[in-house]
Amino acid sequence: MSKKTNLPAGKRALDLARNNAVPIMFIIICAVFIPMAGFSPSYLLNEIITRMGRNLFLVLCLLFPIMAGMGLNFAMTLGAMGAEIAVILVADWQIWGIPGVVLAMILSIPFSALLGFICGTLQNMAKGREMITSYIINFFINGWYQLIVLYIMGAVIPIMHASIMLPRGYGIRNTVSLLNMRQCLDDLLAIRIGGVKIPVFTFLLVGLLCLFIVWFRRTKLGQDMRAVGQDMEVAKAAGINVDRTRIISVVMSTVCAGFGMVIYLQNIGNLPTYTGHAQIGMFCIAALLVGGASVEKAAIGNAFLGVILFHLMFIVAPGAGAFITGDSMVGEYFRVFLSYGIITLALIMYEAKKRMARSKAGQELAEAQKKEEDA
Amino acid sequence: MKAKRRMLFSLLLVLVLVGIAAAMMVIGRGHTVYFDNKTLEDYQGQEYKAADKIVVTVKGEEVAKLSKRDRGMATWIGQNFKMILEVTQEKGGESEIREIDLKLPYNMDGIIINLPAILADLPEEAWLSEFIPAVKEEPAEEEVPGEGDDFGLGGDMGLEGELGLEDGLGGV
Repeated sequence: MSKKTNLPAGKRALDLARNNAVPIMFIIICAVFIPMAGFSPSYLLNEIITRMGRNLFLVLCLLFPIMAGMGLNFAMTLGAMGAEIAVILVADWQIWGIPGVVLAMILSIPFSALLGFICGTLQNMAKGREMITSYIINFFINGWYQLIVLYIMGAVIPIMHASIMLPRGYGIRNTVSLLNMRQCLDDLLAIRIGGVKIPVFTFLLVGLLCLFIVWFRRTKLGQDMRAVGQDMEVAKAAGINVDRTRIISVVMSTVCAGFGMVIYLQNIGNLPTYTGHAQIGMFCIAALLVGGASVEKAAIGNAFLGVILFHLMFIVAPGAGAFITGDSMVGEYFRVFLSYGIITLALIMYEAKKRMARSKAGQELAEAQKKEEDA
Repeated sequence: MKAKRRMLFSLLLVLVLVGIAAAMMVIGRGHTVYFDNKTLEDYQGQEYKAADKIVVTVKGEEVAKLSKRDRGMATWIGQNFKMILEVTQEKGGESEIREIDLKLPYNMDGIIINLPAILADLPEEAWLSEFIPAVKEEPAEEEVPGEGDDFGLGGDMGLEGELGLEDGLGGV
């Protein structure tokens, strides 16, 4: 019998609650907020399903760097930028519908892969500080992205349509309409159950990515990534090319994020050229944390649970805030401070737990040494 | 040997992707097709009169019901355009159904089709012309990002709760 099952039920429940404190907190808050917000169940379900189709692919991209021990990596934002450049080109070439989406996905691959390679290489130079490094790299690459989109597109890269270009003759407008590819994936094979639209094809794509992740974990490269994630030194001693494995994980994340961003944008139906990618990493990381993931460990289930809870909170919090304070503006801020407050708490709890485990291990070692000395 | 095989596989993958992308560019090219029920005057010395009423059906959906001098429109993906016209030449007369298949030019976004000319089986030059949207006068400078001192962090720092994509709740 395992050690865990020998524990009393109360302690086991406490352990379970401690290990899943963030999702439990979110579940409690959502349970309180839902009646306050006053939305109908079908509306909530519809919103959640729409948001799952829109965001899950992006959130799942975060699993690759976590697998390689690179933490909650903001490199995925770079993939989103790559996808945005591809989408601008596809919109200008007037490729519509599903072919437009497929073309944007294919076009995003070289951009995302290149940016992923750059980011992975830079992160290898800052081992142990991947999260903050990737966050700052975002700002650096965002500068380049703005240079390309604001000055090079139209002046050097030909842009034909005035509806996309700024009136001055070069640069891309703040918003690019994607009306001709809007929800083309979501509408494909979509079914309606009791007024709730289920975007079957989008979920199939998400399912395929999940299957790929499950399969990938079992491959040689997947095992290498996990080994690198557990201990870089041991992995190196075992003959694994640590730097290369880490770069591959980032490239996989950015390429998948590129696909995810195309799925996201086709759902929204327009591209906010300069802001679309800016917060995407933050929101996806937040969703994954809310799902019970940590900097070191995340699974597909965390992504699903996180997207459901995080977005449920986003839907109901403004209504609940308005109900409590009587001001809808306060409600808007209410959800932001609650969501990010809990995420901050999640990160602090993770760090505290890690320190506790470390000190416990230290104490056990000291006790063992003492016993040895006594003997 | 293994490296060679990997290289070959990668090359093949790139080729397949390029092939798919090329196919998407052809089959996914979108056009806006405008239908004019206007009299075509003086084409090789002849006049082709507008019908009293033309009902245009594209992809099984009735997209326009055109009286004389009316214009309708439909969007189409690809170059092989198909439409069904229900033509009533004279008021109170019998309607005639015509199925029309056209090859749309790849390089045109907006295409104007003169229905009386196409119904008279005239050559392409008579019924096809490019739609060029009127240039709208706009102020030369639109507010562009990156000109402030927010270090690219965005004005709202995410406080709008969105990615700046939609109003309200829909963006995340």
